Amino acid sequence: MKPNKNIWQSIRFSPLFKSIFRHGYDDTKQNKILQIRSNVFLHLHPVKVPAHAMKIRFTWCMGGITFFLFLVETITGILLMFYYRPVPEYAYQDMKYLEFDVPFGILLRNIHRWAAHLMVGTVMLHMLRVFLTGSYKPPREFNWVVGVMLLIFTFLLSFTGYLLPWDQLAYWAITVGTNMIRATPFIGHEGPFALLDKYNDVRFMILGGTEIGANALLRFYVLHIVVLPAAAIIFMAVHFWRIRKDGGISGPL
Amino acid sequence: MHTDVHKTEITRRSLLSLLGWGAFFTTLAISVPASIRFLFPRVLFEKPSTFKIGAPDDFRINGNSEHQVYETWKAEHSVWLVKEKNRIYAVHAKCTHLGCTPNWFPDEGVFKCPCHGSQFNRSGVNFAGPAPRPLDRLKISIGKDGMLVVDKSRVYTFNEFDKQGTYVEV
Amino acid sequence: MPLFVPLPLCSLVPLYKTMYHSKSKKHLVWPDLAFMEFLTAVALTIILIAWALLANAPLLEIASPARSENPSKAPWYFVGLQELLVYFDPWIAGVMIPSIIVFCLMMIPYVDCNSKGSGEYSFSLRKFAVINFIFGFLMWLTLLFVGFFLRGPSWQLYLPWESWEKVKDIEENLWSLNPAVGLISLLAYLALFIILPAVIKKDFYKRRGIARYAIVMLSLALMYFVPMKILLRLVFNIKYVLVTPWFNV
Repeated sequence: MKPNKNIWQSIRFSPLFKSIFRHGYDDTKQNKILQIRSNVFLHLHPVKVPAHAMKIRFTWCMGGITFFLFLVETITGILLMFYYRPVPEYAYQDMKYLEFDVPFGILLRNIHRWAAHLMVGTVMLHMLRVFLTGSYKPPREFNWVVGVMLLIFTFLLSFTGYLLPWDQLAYWAITVGTNMIRATPFIGHEGPFALLDKYNDVRFMILGGTEIGANALLRFYVLHIVVLPAAAIIFMAVHFWRIRKDGGISGPL
Repeated sequence: MHTDVHKTEITRRSLLSLLGWGAFFTTLAISVPASIRFLFPRVLFEKPSTFKIGAPDDFRINGNSEHQVYETWKAEHSVWLVKEKNRIYAVHAKCTHLGCTPNWFPDEGVFKCPCHGSQFNRSGVNFAGPAPRPLDRLKISIGKDGMLVVDKSRVYTFNEFDKQGTYVEV
Repeated sequence: MPLFVPLPLCSLVPLYKTMYHSKSKKHLVWPDLAFMEFLTAVALTIILIAWALLANAPLLEIASPARSENPSKAPWYFVGLQELLVYFDPWIAGVMIPSIIVFCLMMIPYVDCNSKGSGEYSFSLRKFAVINFIFGFLMWLTLLFVGFFLRGPSWQLYLPWESWEKVKDIEENLWSLNPAVGLISLLAYLALFIILPAVIKKDFYKRRGIARYAIVMLSLALMYFVPMKILLRLVFNIKYVLVTPWFNV
């Protein structure tokens, strides 16, 4: 063992530290490869990527930014859950509580809200970029389909979250949105060829009632914090895995 | 051992496979409809669909118009009571386009929906905007105690407006 | 000719060619790309915190079912569909159009037989695909823009500098085509859109085969029907092109 020059050195080369972080910043090719290979998070990446994969002009970085925003949403969302109760009697109160009484509550809520808007935008731009570079072409067809699913999940995540503040904006935006479901052919009670009435149609199934009330709020909450994020995570895992398995980032032949 | 897959005789393996997949799909066939049924609650904690609104004589027409629209029950029940010369009926305060709550403008005698600009005249007939039909009416009747009762669970669309139950003669 | 050509087989040949594009130079991810990603994350964090400090997320009064907001707008990314409600019945604008968009998006890789232009920005190699996709994308953005910025109380058209206090009255005399005329013109539109390109450009049809060709042209016919219906409404005040006892288009 080297003689310890200072505290940092003694930590850096201690058995404890070494057991957690095995590789330093040595500028050798082997070490650079190990940095990626031996890190569970970084090995999302291949060890090497083609030169154009590092050009923002080519990638617009939109996929990566979307993933980052998803992480931001997860963290801020979990923190907001500590103070939010998805019940009509409390939901709005809790928003006010977060806004005025919880330390950094308003900041977290703002970040959560703005990052959600941003994420919807970056997902759409990511799709545009992937289309313009023809990156859906074989062998990446299925990954494009997974991407479309992720686009839908992003819309739905944002949409279900929109109801939760339980204010006029939320209530009426979701009213307008969910009222369209009534018009679904066959399974909506006001659509063409309606087979069901308002107590058993598809809108009733989603809202858990005929109007947006306590059941709808709870359902949107459960969808927003468990069902849709879980679905998004599964599809993201497939999406990232398939990028690697389909030959990495697309590039000119 | 060698099994010829083209033979149709039942082997132990094919029987077990049949049983296994059979059990799998049976479970699926039961649990999927059950999960869907789970999403439809038996009891709703929504406001009761019937409510009393008062005696027929409580409603009268002010001034010399032929209609009087009562907004008393709009906030709580989304219902307007309309008194005409010799009938009273209950108009559902829910736009027939996408279900927003219209507003009543007594000076103009018009119901206007804020969402997409549908407009209805005093008896609820649509004349502008995207609404596809007049405002719906709700069942109204006189109870045993002589009071008017509105039942929101029975909704009449415009081609049923002559049916019994859509209005009360006074 | 078989009616249904197995779709995903349109270009198996270049599949493995695209798997490993060994021509381009490779870079190690550590440290360059990882560092770029780190910087992006830091920049975004700063942007988000600054944004959150400068602007509060909206919170209006508590929800009240009896009092509609005027206007009641859907979240901005669905405002385009809400804008379509002016021109289409809810079952089309709110259900059919989004479902068809999703289905068509998912079909893109299976109906696009052009193996050129994979992994690069190229307009000249895939004009047909790029023009149509960009058209759809811009239409989506335009509808979002109109719905979000130009619609005021009662969903009337208000320019950004106009006051919402000013009440705009709706003076519309909408009319619908006679059912027979409507049906014939609608069928004629679809038939022309689907048959004409196959007759004029045989090559275009042959390369795709009947199934893929039908999906592509039907999707495009539906997509271009949307702005056409909007024009019919705005210019000729036509409410419905097709009136039937069950539904109106």
